[in-house]
Amino acid sequence: MSVLSAVVTGIAMGIVFGFALEKSRVFEPGVIVGQMQLSNFIMLKVFLTAVATGAVVLAALNGFGYVKLQPKAELIAADIVGGLLLGTGITLAGACPGTTLAQIGAGYRDALFTLIGGLFGALAYSYAQPLLVPVLGASAPKTIFTDYAGIPYWMGALALAAVLVIVLVILERLRPYRGELGRDFDGSLNSEERSTISVQSARWPA
Amino acid sequence: MAETALGASSSYVTVADWIVSWADPQLLKIDYAAKHVALTAKNWWQVALVGGIAIGAFLSMKLSGARRAAISPIWKRALGTASPMKRYALAFNAGFLMLLGARIADGCTSGHGLSGLAQLSVGSTVAVAAMFAGGILAANLLLRRI
Repeated sequence: MSVLSAVVTGIAMGIVFGFALEKSRVFEPGVIVGQMQLSNFIMLKVFLTAVATGAVVLAALNGFGYVKLQPKAELIAADIVGGLLLGTGITLAGACPGTTLAQIGAGYRDALFTLIGGLFGALAYSYAQPLLVPVLGASAPKTIFTDYAGIPYWMGALALAAVLVIVLVILERLRPYRGELGRDFDGSLNSEERSTISVQSARWPA
Repeated sequence: MAETALGASSSYVTVADWIVSWADPQLLKIDYAAKHVALTAKNWWQVALVGGIAIGAFLSMKLSGARRAAISPIWKRALGTASPMKRYALAFNAGFLMLLGARIADGCTSGHGLSGLAQLSVGSTVAVAAMFAGGILAANLLLRRI
Protein backbone atom coordinates (compact mmCIF):
# COMPACT_ATOMS: atom_id res chain seq x y z
CA MET A 1 0.00 0.00 0.00
CA SER A 2 1.38 3.43 -0.91
CA VAL A 3 2.13 5.91 1.87
CA LEU A 4 -0.47 8.33 0.52
CA SER A 5 -3.32 5.80 0.53
CA ALA A 6 -2.20 4.60 3.98
CA VAL A 7 -2.44 8.19 5.26
CA VAL A 8 -5.90 8.68 3.74
CA THR A 9 -7.08 5.37 5.26
CA GLY A 10 -5.50 6.34 8.59
CA ILE A 11 -7.31 9.68 8.75
CA ALA A 12 -10.64 8.01 7.89
CA MET A 13 -10.16 5.31 10.55
CA GLY A 14 -9.00 7.93 13.05
CA ILE A 15 -12.16 10.00 12.50
CA VAL A 16 -14.31 6.93 13.24
CA PHE A 17 -12.18 6.15 16.32
CA GLY A 18 -12.37 9.80 17.47
CA PHE A 19 -16.17 9.80 17.15
CA ALA A 20 -16.38 6.56 19.14
CA LEU A 21 -14.08 7.91 21.88
CA GLU A 22 -16.08 11.13 22.16
CA LYS A 23 -19.49 9.40 22.18
CA SER A 24 -18.39 6.75 24.68
CA ARG A 25 -17.04 9.49 27.04
CA VAL A 26 -13.81 7.55 27.66
CA PHE A 27 -11.75 10.55 26.58
CA GLU A 28 -13.01 12.51 29.63
CA PRO A 29 -10.44 12.96 32.43
CA GLY A 30 -13.27 12.43 34.94
CA VAL A 31 -13.99 8.99 33.46
CA ILE A 32 -10.30 7.93 33.42
CA VAL A 33 -9.38 9.25 36.89
CA GLY A 34 -12.72 7.98 38.27
CA GLN A 35 -11.94 4.51 36.93
CA MET A 36 -8.48 4.51 38.50
CA GLN A 37 -10.03 5.63 41.83
CA LEU A 38 -12.57 2.81 41.35
CA SER A 39 -15.52 5.20 41.61
CA ASN A 40 -16.52 5.12 37.92
CA PHE A 41 -16.59 2.00 35.73
CA ILE A 42 -17.40 3.49 32.31
CA MET A 43 -13.80 3.16 31.08
CA LEU A 44 -13.51 -0.51 32.03
CA LYS A 45 -16.84 -1.28 30.35
CA VAL A 46 -15.98 0.51 27.11
CA PHE A 47 -12.51 -1.05 27.11
CA LEU A 48 -13.75 -4.61 27.70
CA THR A 49 -16.52 -4.13 25.10
CA ALA A 50 -13.90 -3.10 22.54
CA VAL A 51 -11.70 -6.10 23.45
CA ALA A 52 -14.66 -8.49 23.14
CA THR A 53 -15.69 -7.00 19.79
CA GLY A 54 -12.12 -7.16 18.52
CA ALA A 55 -11.80 -10.77 19.64
CA VAL A 56 -14.97 -11.84 17.77
CA VAL A 57 -13.93 -9.99 14.59
CA LEU A 58 -10.39 -11.43 14.74
CA ALA A 59 -11.70 -14.92 15.50
CA ALA A 60 -13.70 -14.78 12.25
CA LEU A 61 -11.01 -13.11 10.11
CA ASN A 62 -8.20 -15.33 11.43
CA GLY A 63 -10.31 -18.49 11.61
CA PHE A 64 -11.28 -18.18 7.93
CA GLY A 65 -7.68 -17.32 7.01
CA TYR A 66 -8.11 -13.66 5.98
CA VAL A 67 -5.60 -12.15 8.43
CA LYS A 68 -2.57 -13.30 10.40
CA LEU A 69 -2.24 -12.39 14.07
CA GLN A 70 0.35 -9.75 15.06
CA PRO A 71 0.91 -10.32 18.79
CA LYS A 72 3.74 -8.49 20.54
CA ALA A 73 6.80 -10.21 21.98
CA GLU A 74 6.48 -11.52 25.53
CA LEU A 75 9.07 -9.26 27.27
CA ILE A 76 7.81 -9.55 30.83
CA ALA A 77 10.23 -7.11 32.54
CA ALA A 78 9.62 -4.44 29.88
CA ASP A 79 5.87 -5.05 30.02
CA ILE A 80 5.79 -4.60 33.82
CA VAL A 81 8.13 -1.58 34.07
CA GLY A 82 6.61 0.11 31.02
CA GLY A 83 3.07 -0.75 32.07
CA LEU A 84 3.52 0.77 35.56
CA LEU A 85 4.94 4.02 34.12
CA LEU A 86 2.27 4.12 31.43
CA GLY A 87 -0.52 3.63 33.98
CA THR A 88 0.85 6.36 36.26
CA GLY A 89 1.05 8.70 33.27
CA ILE A 90 -2.49 7.84 32.16
CA THR A 91 -3.91 8.70 35.60
CA LEU A 92 -2.03 12.00 35.92
CA ALA A 93 -2.79 12.96 32.31
CA GLY A 94 -6.41 11.79 32.59
CA ALA A 95 -5.81 10.36 29.12
CA CYS A 96 -3.96 7.68 27.23
CA PRO A 97 -1.77 8.30 24.16
CA GLY A 98 -4.73 7.96 21.77
CA THR A 99 -7.36 9.84 23.79
CA THR A 100 -4.98 12.78 24.32
CA LEU A 101 -5.73 13.65 20.69
CA ALA A 102 -9.47 13.26 21.29
CA GLN A 103 -9.18 15.71 24.23
CA ILE A 104 -7.41 18.21 21.99
CA GLY A 105 -10.17 17.84 19.40
CA ALA A 106 -12.83 18.30 22.07
CA GLY A 107 -11.17 21.48 23.33
CA TYR A 108 -9.25 20.54 26.49
CA ARG A 109 -6.25 22.85 26.61
CA ASP A 110 -4.18 20.85 29.11
CA ALA A 111 -4.14 17.99 26.58
CA LEU A 112 -1.78 20.06 24.42
CA PHE A 113 0.74 19.86 27.27
CA THR A 114 0.14 16.11 27.58
CA LEU A 115 0.86 15.81 23.84
CA ILE A 116 4.08 17.85 24.03
CA GLY A 117 5.21 15.93 27.13
CA GLY A 118 4.43 12.71 25.26
CA LEU A 119 6.56 13.76 22.28
CA PHE A 120 9.45 14.47 24.68
CA GLY A 121 8.90 11.09 26.38
CA ALA A 122 9.00 9.31 23.02
CA LEU A 123 12.14 11.25 22.08
CA ALA A 124 13.83 10.41 25.39
CA TYR A 125 13.08 6.73 24.80
CA SER A 126 14.52 6.91 21.27
CA TYR A 127 17.84 8.25 22.60
CA ALA A 128 17.87 5.77 25.50
CA GLN A 129 16.68 2.75 23.50
CA PRO A 130 20.16 1.37 22.63
CA LEU A 131 20.99 1.40 26.38
CA LEU A 132 17.64 0.03 27.57
CA VAL A 133 17.26 -2.90 25.21
CA PRO A 134 20.18 -4.92 26.67
CA VAL A 135 18.59 -4.47 30.13
CA LEU A 136 14.95 -5.15 29.23
CA GLY A 137 15.44 -7.72 26.49
CA ALA A 138 15.31 -7.47 22.72
CA SER A 139 13.39 -10.44 21.44
CA ALA A 140 11.08 -13.04 22.87
CA PRO A 141 8.47 -15.48 21.56
CA LYS A 142 5.14 -13.89 20.60
CA THR A 143 3.10 -16.23 22.76
CA ILE A 144 -0.68 -16.23 22.88
CA PHE A 145 -2.69 -18.10 25.52
CA THR A 146 -4.16 -20.64 23.09
CA ASP A 147 -0.60 -21.83 22.29
CA TYR A 148 -0.45 -23.17 25.85
CA ALA A 149 -3.93 -24.65 25.73
CA GLY A 150 -3.29 -26.37 22.40
CA ILE A 151 -6.55 -25.11 20.85
CA PRO A 152 -7.00 -22.88 17.77
CA TYR A 153 -6.93 -19.11 18.31
CA TRP A 154 -10.53 -18.57 17.19
CA MET A 155 -11.83 -20.91 19.86
CA GLY A 156 -9.96 -19.07 22.63
CA ALA A 157 -11.00 -15.67 21.26
CA LEU A 158 -14.69 -16.62 21.22
CA ALA A 159 -14.38 -18.02 24.76
CA LEU A 160 -12.78 -14.75 25.93
CA ALA A 161 -15.58 -12.74 24.28
CA ALA A 162 -18.23 -14.90 25.97
CA VAL A 163 -16.62 -14.43 29.40
CA LEU A 164 -16.30 -10.67 28.83
CA VAL A 165 -19.99 -10.39 27.91
CA ILE A 166 -20.92 -12.04 31.23
CA VAL A 167 -18.51 -9.77 33.14
CA LEU A 168 -19.97 -6.72 31.36
CA VAL A 169 -23.57 -7.67 32.18
CA ILE A 170 -22.63 -8.09 35.86
CA LEU A 171 -20.68 -4.80 35.92
CA GLU A 172 -23.58 -2.92 34.37
CA ARG A 173 -26.01 -4.45 36.91
CA LEU A 174 -23.76 -3.41 39.78
CA ARG A 175 -22.77 0.02 38.41
CA PRO A 176 -25.35 1.32 35.85
CA TYR A 177 -23.59 3.74 33.49
CA ARG A 178 -26.25 6.44 33.86
CA GLY A 179 -25.26 6.96 37.47
CA GLU A 180 -21.67 7.58 36.45
CA LEU A 181 -22.00 9.99 33.52
CA GLY A 182 -22.25 13.16 35.62
CA ARG A 183 -24.38 16.23 35.04
CA ASP A 184 -22.22 17.36 32.13
CA PHE A 185 -21.56 13.84 30.83
CA ASP A 186 -17.90 14.22 31.76
CA GLY A 187 -17.70 11.66 34.55
CA SER A 188 -17.41 14.49 37.08
CA LEU A 189 -19.33 13.29 40.13
CA ASN A 190 -18.79 15.43 43.20
CA SER A 191 -21.03 15.00 46.20
CA GLU A 192 -23.63 17.58 45.06
CA GLU A 193 -23.86 16.17 41.58
CA ARG A 194 -24.00 12.66 42.93
CA SER A 195 -27.13 13.38 44.92
CA THR A 196 -28.79 14.90 41.82
CA ILE A 197 -27.96 11.80 39.84
CA SER A 198 -29.36 9.39 42.39
CA VAL A 199 -32.70 11.27 42.21
CA GLN A 200 -32.59 11.03 38.40
CA SER A 201 -31.65 7.39 38.25
CA ALA A 202 -34.60 6.58 40.51
CA ARG A 203 -36.81 7.42 37.54
CA TRP A 204 -35.17 4.79 35.35
CA PRO A 205 -36.18 1.30 36.40
CA ALA A 206 -33.10 -0.93 36.58
CA MET B 1 -3.80 -2.70 6.60
CA ALA B 2 -3.10 -6.33 7.46
CA GLU B 3 0.60 -5.71 8.15
CA THR B 4 -0.04 -3.81 11.38
CA ALA B 5 -2.39 -3.84 14.35
CA LEU B 6 -4.09 -0.82 15.90
CA GLY B 7 -1.84 1.39 18.03
CA ALA B 8 -1.25 5.02 18.94
CA SER B 9 1.96 5.42 20.91
CA SER B 10 4.54 4.71 18.21
CA SER B 11 3.20 7.69 16.22
CA TYR B 12 4.65 9.90 18.99
CA VAL B 13 8.08 8.44 18.18
CA THR B 14 7.59 9.03 14.45
CA VAL B 15 6.62 12.70 14.93
CA ALA B 16 9.11 13.56 17.73
CA ASP B 17 12.08 11.86 16.04
CA TRP B 18 11.17 13.28 12.63
CA ILE B 19 11.12 16.85 14.03
CA VAL B 20 14.30 16.46 16.10
CA SER B 21 16.19 14.73 13.27
CA TRP B 22 16.26 18.12 11.50
CA ALA B 23 18.25 19.59 14.39
CA ASP B 24 20.19 16.43 15.23
CA PRO B 25 20.71 14.17 12.18
CA GLN B 26 22.78 11.86 14.42
CA LEU B 27 19.49 10.69 15.96
CA LEU B 28 18.78 8.68 12.80
CA LYS B 29 21.94 6.63 13.42
CA ILE B 30 19.86 4.92 16.13
CA ASP B 31 18.02 2.12 14.31
CA TYR B 32 14.92 2.54 16.46
CA ALA B 33 14.58 6.21 15.44
CA ALA B 34 15.39 5.57 11.78
CA LYS B 35 12.85 2.74 11.64
CA HIS B 36 10.07 4.94 13.05
CA VAL B 37 10.80 8.00 10.89
CA ALA B 38 11.09 6.03 7.61
CA LEU B 39 8.49 7.00 5.02
CA THR B 40 6.56 3.76 5.26
CA ALA B 41 2.82 3.15 5.09
CA LYS B 42 2.82 1.68 8.61
CA ASN B 43 4.54 4.67 10.29
CA TRP B 44 2.56 7.43 8.66
CA TRP B 45 -0.73 5.53 8.70
CA GLN B 46 -0.53 5.66 12.50
CA VAL B 47 0.32 9.38 12.55
CA ALA B 48 -2.69 9.96 10.27
CA LEU B 49 -4.82 7.80 12.58
CA VAL B 50 -4.10 9.85 15.71
CA GLY B 51 -4.60 13.07 13.72
CA GLY B 52 -7.95 11.64 12.58
CA ILE B 53 -8.89 10.96 16.23
CA ALA B 54 -8.61 14.69 16.97
CA ILE B 55 -10.74 15.52 13.91
CA GLY B 56 -13.33 12.86 14.78
CA ALA B 57 -13.64 14.02 18.40
CA PHE B 58 -13.90 17.65 17.26
CA LEU B 59 -16.68 16.84 14.76
CA SER B 60 -18.55 14.65 17.26
CA MET B 61 -18.40 17.45 19.86
CA LYS B 62 -19.55 20.13 17.38
CA LEU B 63 -22.41 18.00 16.04
CA SER B 64 -23.70 17.33 19.56
CA GLY B 65 -23.42 21.00 20.51
CA ALA B 66 -21.48 20.15 23.68
CA ARG B 67 -18.86 22.56 25.02
CA ARG B 68 -15.96 21.99 27.30
CA ALA B 69 -14.08 24.22 29.75
CA ALA B 70 -10.35 24.60 28.98
CA ILE B 71 -9.62 22.26 31.91
CA SER B 72 -11.97 19.56 33.22
CA PRO B 73 -13.53 20.53 36.60
CA ILE B 74 -12.25 17.30 38.13
CA TRP B 75 -8.68 18.62 38.22
CA LYS B 76 -9.52 21.30 40.77
CA ARG B 77 -10.68 18.56 43.15
CA ALA B 78 -7.98 16.04 42.23
CA LEU B 79 -5.12 18.54 42.65
CA GLY B 80 -6.60 20.79 45.34
CA THR B 81 -5.80 23.86 43.23
CA ALA B 82 -7.45 25.66 40.32
CA SER B 83 -4.11 26.93 38.98
CA PRO B 84 -3.94 26.24 35.23
CA MET B 85 -0.13 26.43 35.28
CA LYS B 86 0.05 23.61 37.84
CA ARG B 87 -2.29 21.50 35.76
CA TYR B 88 -0.30 22.20 32.57
CA ALA B 89 2.98 21.27 34.30
CA LEU B 90 1.46 18.03 35.60
CA ALA B 91 -0.02 17.23 32.16
CA PHE B 92 3.40 17.70 30.53
CA ASN B 93 5.07 15.36 33.02
CA ALA B 94 2.23 12.87 32.78
CA GLY B 95 2.55 12.84 28.98
CA PHE B 96 6.29 12.25 29.33
CA LEU B 97 5.81 9.28 31.71
CA MET B 98 2.99 7.89 29.62
CA LEU B 99 4.99 7.75 26.39
CA LEU B 100 8.23 6.66 28.07
CA GLY B 101 6.30 3.79 29.66
CA ALA B 102 4.41 2.95 26.48
CA ARG B 103 7.63 2.74 24.47
CA ILE B 104 9.36 0.60 27.12
CA ALA B 105 6.37 -1.75 27.11
CA ASP B 106 6.17 -1.48 23.30
CA GLY B 107 2.52 -0.50 23.30
CA CYS B 108 -0.23 1.56 24.94
CA THR B 109 -3.93 1.19 25.69
CA SER B 110 -4.66 0.61 21.99
CA GLY B 111 -1.71 -1.61 21.06
CA HIS B 112 -1.48 -3.76 24.19
CA GLY B 113 -4.97 -3.13 25.53
CA LEU B 114 -7.28 -3.47 22.55
CA SER B 115 -5.20 -5.29 19.92
CA GLY B 116 -3.08 -7.31 22.35
CA LEU B 117 -5.85 -8.62 24.63
CA ALA B 118 -8.11 -9.43 21.68
CA GLN B 119 -5.25 -11.51 20.24
CA LEU B 120 -4.88 -13.31 23.60
CA SER B 121 -1.25 -12.13 23.84
CA VAL B 122 0.50 -13.16 27.06
CA GLY B 123 2.86 -10.15 27.07
CA SER B 124 0.01 -7.71 26.46
CA THR B 125 -2.00 -9.19 29.34
CA VAL B 126 0.96 -8.57 31.67
CA ALA B 127 1.37 -5.02 30.31
CA VAL B 128 -2.33 -4.20 30.79
CA ALA B 129 -2.33 -5.60 34.33
CA ALA B 130 0.73 -3.45 35.15
CA MET B 131 -0.91 -0.43 33.52
CA PHE B 132 -4.02 -0.70 35.69
CA ALA B 133 -1.89 -1.39 38.79
CA GLY B 134 0.21 1.75 38.15
CA GLY B 135 -2.87 3.80 37.33
CA ILE B 136 -4.81 2.73 40.42
CA LEU B 137 -1.82 3.32 42.72
CA ALA B 138 -1.20 6.80 41.27
CA ALA B 139 -4.89 7.73 41.45
CA ASN B 140 -5.15 6.77 45.10
CA LEU B 141 -1.73 7.92 46.35
CA LEU B 142 -1.06 11.05 44.30
CA LEU B 143 -4.51 12.52 43.62
CA ARG B 144 -7.37 13.56 45.89
CA ARG B 145 -10.76 11.91 45.48
CA ILE B 146 -12.60 13.51 42.58
